[in-house]
Amino acid sequence: MSEAAEDDIDDEVVAKVSDYLDGLLKGTERNDVAKKIESDPVWKQTHADMVENRKFMSGMQKAHAPPTFTEDVTGTINKRSKGRFFARKTLGDRVPFNALLIVAIIAMAAVGYLMWSSQTGSLKVEKKPAPPPPAPPPVR
Amino acid sequence: MSELERSLLRRLRDRDERAFRELIQEHRDRVFNITFRMLGNRAEAEDVAQEVFIAVFKTIDDFREESKFSTWLYRVAVNHCKNRIKYLARRPALDRSREEMDETTHGTGVNGTIGAPLPSSPQKALESKQMEKLMQEAIANLEEDQRIVVVLRDVEDLSIEEICEITGLPDGTVKSRLHRARLVLRKRLQRHIEDRHE
Repeated sequence: MSEAAEDDIDDEVVAKVSDYLDGLLKGTERNDVAKKIESDPVWKQTHADMVENRKFMSGMQKAHAPPTFTEDVTGTINKRSKGRFFARKTLGDRVPFNALLIVAIIAMAAVGYLMWSSQTGSLKVEKKPAPPPPAPPPVR
Repeated sequence: MSELERSLLRRLRDRDERAFRELIQEHRDRVFNITFRMLGNRAEAEDVAQEVFIAVFKTIDDFREESKFSTWLYRVAVNHCKNRIKYLARRPALDRSREEMDETTHGTGVNGTIGAPLPSSPQKALESKQMEKLMQEAIANLEEDQRIVVVLRDVEDLSIEEICEITGLPDGTVKSRLHRARLVLRKRLQRHIEDRHE
């Protein structure tokens, strides 16, 4: 392995080469670093090491949480807080809003019909009786 | 911060259980990845990952939205891992042994400790598993400061900027620490591979 000893690492060079490899340098700064990598042995070595290290680390596999993780966490919270942590659900999460809407519409229609059909209902529009014809003038 | 994230935060602060579940579903693998790579032990990693979410839920009102929510979450995860490492160091009797490490790094079943698909041939699969095990051991043997930056950068693919926010370290320190850590890992693993081939 050709990398420099750990103590020989120049942090400034590392930072610059890291930015260079990450594509964070633009314009003249990028060109300057590229030139140094070509001409300066320390920069060249650092660059070679970093490229090799990145390749080496690129195959890192990902770990996954167990499938029951979510239930485990919420279960633990509920257990520790004795069910008081999460907001109390008076109607719960599974309120059937659509069914409730239909029931409400039917109920309102029924109440409306009852009020309309009732003798005393306020919705019942009673026809006013025609005014009596004017009385004929008294005959003398 | 996106409107979606703000809305989720509002619901979290209202102690909406569904919002908590959504949050866990979204971040559980990444948090578990951090804890597993930092601690090198599946059981400890699961336990700490759970504690991370519980701590986040308890202290959600303290999150001041000055950084990304995920950055805050990972900071909590890193701090919990540091505390657990200290705690485990004080308990020598607790044997975080190689057998356990084997068990955790070889699990590819339903629980899928390792998520990447296995290589096609059994020989390659074996080599890949051994390499993964070696890598996990090598990471676990890094100094804590180096381990944190390697895990955040090479396992979590976070940017240097995010790592600075999470660790509170200056940009240059993160880069040099990362470089040193990678050199150490490469050196150790290559030595191991060469030893095996001799």
